[in-house]
Amino acid sequence: MGLTIWQVILITLVAYIQRMDFATTTIFPAHSIVWGTITGIILGNFQMGLVTGATLQLMSLGVAAVGGSSTPDYPVAAIISTAVAITTGKGMAAGLALGVPVGMLCINLDVVLKLLNSFFTNKAHQLADKHEFKKMTHLIPVMTFLMPLESAVPVFLAVVFGKPIINAILNFMPKWFTTGLNVAGAMLPAVGIAMLLTYMPIKKYGYWLLIGFTLAAYLKMATLGVALIGIAAAIPTFRKQVSKSNNSSDGSEKSNGLSKEDMEDE
Amino acid sequence: MNNKMQSNEKLTKKDVFKSAIRSYIGISTYNYDSGMAAGIVWAQYPSLRKIYKKDKDLQASLDNHFKFYNCHPWLSEIIIGATTAMEEKNGVASLDAVQDLKAGLMGPFSGIGDTLIWVMFPTIFGAIAGSMGKQGNPAGMYIYAGLYLLFFLFRWYLYVLGYKSGTNLVVSLGDKLSAFTDAISVLGLSVIGAIIPSVINFKLALNFSQAGVKLSGQHVLDQIMPGLLPALLVGILYYLLKKGRKMTTLILVVILIAMVGAAFGIFKV
Repeated sequence: MGLTIWQVILITLVAYIQRMDFATTTIFPAHSIVWGTITGIILGNFQMGLVTGATLQLMSLGVAAVGGSSTPDYPVAAIISTAVAITTGKGMAAGLALGVPVGMLCINLDVVLKLLNSFFTNKAHQLADKHEFKKMTHLIPVMTFLMPLESAVPVFLAVVFGKPIINAILNFMPKWFTTGLNVAGAMLPAVGIAMLLTYMPIKKYGYWLLIGFTLAAYLKMATLGVALIGIAAAIPTFRKQVSKSNNSSDGSEKSNGLSKEDMEDE
Repeated sequence: MNNKMQSNEKLTKKDVFKSAIRSYIGISTYNYDSGMAAGIVWAQYPSLRKIYKKDKDLQASLDNHFKFYNCHPWLSEIIIGATTAMEEKNGVASLDAVQDLKAGLMGPFSGIGDTLIWVMFPTIFGAIAGSMGKQGNPAGMYIYAGLYLLFFLFRWYLYVLGYKSGTNLVVSLGDKLSAFTDAISVLGLSVIGAIIPSVINFKLALNFSQAGVKLSGQHVLDQIMPGLLPALLVGILYYLLKKGRKMTTLILVVILIAMVGAAFGIFKV
């Protein structure tokens, strides 16, 4: 794809580090925007990396690998999309066309590696039972070093062999395809957001959704502004909940009737 | 040095710190039948080796820890710190209690940890960083990255905290944590509400003409309510998720709708 050997190695390394970080140190676990920018820096185009990473960050909002499930690997998509966008010079849409599908394929690799971990963990357990403790402590980190392959291998393959695929896509790409990708990018956050909402106490605090929505939709308030209002609202909520659990005659959180406190506040 | 002292003070500050650092192995050993058990085994091994002089006892302790364990990696450190303290005090006799503590707390701690750290923070900060980043402004990204860097640098202390306070902390933390989660939910819901019309910004590309006047479809919708389409989309997806559709399926469906919509000139950005 017009990349030098060094760039290929660096990008693959970044992908490897990204996944390792996700599973262990979690410095930048779900930060597609960071990984995209880093890739951009490697390829000499900070802005493109930033913008591509940001787009994928937005697509991935609310999407989280909860409870051992697997999700599309958005940081990987960011790395690949940035690499493709910069090297082909055809911009982000071309990048997303390869990056997003690969990110989704990573789910399968993730499952395979987890199954492999089962095997290793059982082996380690057996070693412990045989009192071969030193061996056990050497075996366990092997899993740590294998798991990042989930990112590194697809990225490497995409970056090295992606050229013909990209060319095919670029040749085929009618105008609506680009629009389609952009629309998809604008629509996808809705999935994550809907997912997020299923975890949240909508019955109890759902009206804040309305407040945030109205501020943004009608007043065009920036997200940070809404966040500040949210923080301001969170503080009395916290105090109220703490005092509720301290007064704890009725520990449950159903407050169907208005208490004197409720009426005083607003 | 009498017997009591010996059986209680086996671990030095350095040992505790070592295990805390080793917990950064995190979820990298995750698998479907034992969760992250191998990780906590590896993290605690040096301390456990010191506590249990007899190989047989060490094996029993490790055997306990190889049992299924899945918790949020950051908050898990509090639990494991506490169990290490328990094992240091009572050795093999504490193993049942250790397992009970782990089994009892891994659920609630996962709930809080997952909600806060895998979902809420990335959404709030990711939305801010992403929106700014799309305009070419890296400021949001630096804030987001900076916050997590701080977490990373100081996270190990949670293990020490668990170790020092043992079971007491964990119980008293429970109440505060649920209040905190409520408060964060308020913040989260407001931000999510704001994200819906601003980030999910696809528009109707259709135009209508009525009585010789050309109207843009999007304009009509905006007159009804700005952000109507995004709100509808989220509503539909929420309903489908509640009905049990899988997230990955929905992602594919949305991509499909987007592509088809663009091809037929229904949607644009």
